[in-house]
Amino acid sequence: MIEPSLELYGDAYERVDQQLQDLLDTTGVRYGLLVDRKGFVLSHKEALWAPRPPALDSVATLVASNAAATAALANLLGERTFSEQIHQGENGTLYVESVGDDTLLTLIFDSSVPLGKVKVYAKKTVAQIAAILEELKDAPTVQLGEDFNRGVNALLDDLLG
Amino acid sequence: MSTINFAAREINCKIVYYGPGMSGKTTNLKHVFSRVPGHLRGDMVSLATEDERTLFFDFLPLDLGTVQGFKTRFHLYTVPGQVFYNASRKLILRGVDGIVFVADSAPDRLRANAESMRNLRENLAEHGIDVKEVPIVLQINKRDLPNALPADMIRSVIDPGKELLMFEAMSDKGAGVFETLKTVSRLVLERLSKNK
Repeated sequence: MIEPSLELYGDAYERVDQQLQDLLDTTGVRYGLLVDRKGFVLSHKEALWAPRPPALDSVATLVASNAAATAALANLLGERTFSEQIHQGENGTLYVESVGDDTLLTLIFDSSVPLGKVKVYAKKTVAQIAAILEELKDAPTVQLGEDFNRGVNALLDDLLG
Repeated sequence: MSTINFAAREINCKIVYYGPGMSGKTTNLKHVFSRVPGHLRGDMVSLATEDERTLFFDFLPLDLGTVQGFKTRFHLYTVPGQVFYNASRKLILRGVDGIVFVADSAPDRLRANAESMRNLRENLAEHGIDVKEVPIVLQINKRDLPNALPADMIRSVIDPGKELLMFEAMSDKGAGVFETLKTVSRLVLERLSKNK
């Protein structure tokens, strides 16, 4: 096993989604994402009033890489990791907080939203999502059989010739 | 191991292009980006210096389509090849599912190939990954150089046991790029379907 696999499904997945939605509703944050440390989007929510978000794959990859770089920096400074990062621009803020060891809660909001308020509510959400992810550790892993293999090979042939 | 997202029914795999500086890793990604239809790929992200040397990584998301109800997606990354960027190179290997090692055919880069392969093994070991456990495909690039070394000679330096699948390529013309990617993708997904 190379990296602990993270699997979000069924009921647990909906609960994570709901946590993100609640956080967006109470704080006025534009976009909320749960990203794993490898840079994959596990779940995302956007406020109804918010404009179309930037490419989420790109956001997730950059957030995860940034977190990885910051963690390496933390190690150099004798810390285990930096659990929280805030990047503030002229018009908006990017707030990233670790959820357990494998995922990152990423919030993007504009300057009308007070950072302090976001931090307070985000901490609560982080604790709740962490609890859900903890439960999932006991979940059985998926079985993909031969059929899957054949289907995948056909698609690869289509795409890459 | 690959991230599997059940509710969205997505399977995500991470493939990293590794190799010495200037061997053609970014060129591989650029070719894939230019040839894959827009709806199957996302934006390419490049963190590069002004002279287009990769500083941190290049990133390209690629959608394969749906297999048995699972949306299957690859994230392609390159690492910066230059020796002194090891700290960031190591970060990108985190959670890797498959590796393409891009070797340079130029005679004066033979040693760089060897060093990069050794560096790859060291970095994988630091992540606790057994080299035998992760699919690695060898791409001998720049075959069109007038003084290119024989592919077997390059291979004997980086893969003396001939354990890896090897492809010859000219990534700037696109030759061998898709073959390499297809093979590494197949190996990654095969491993996934056998995984218990």
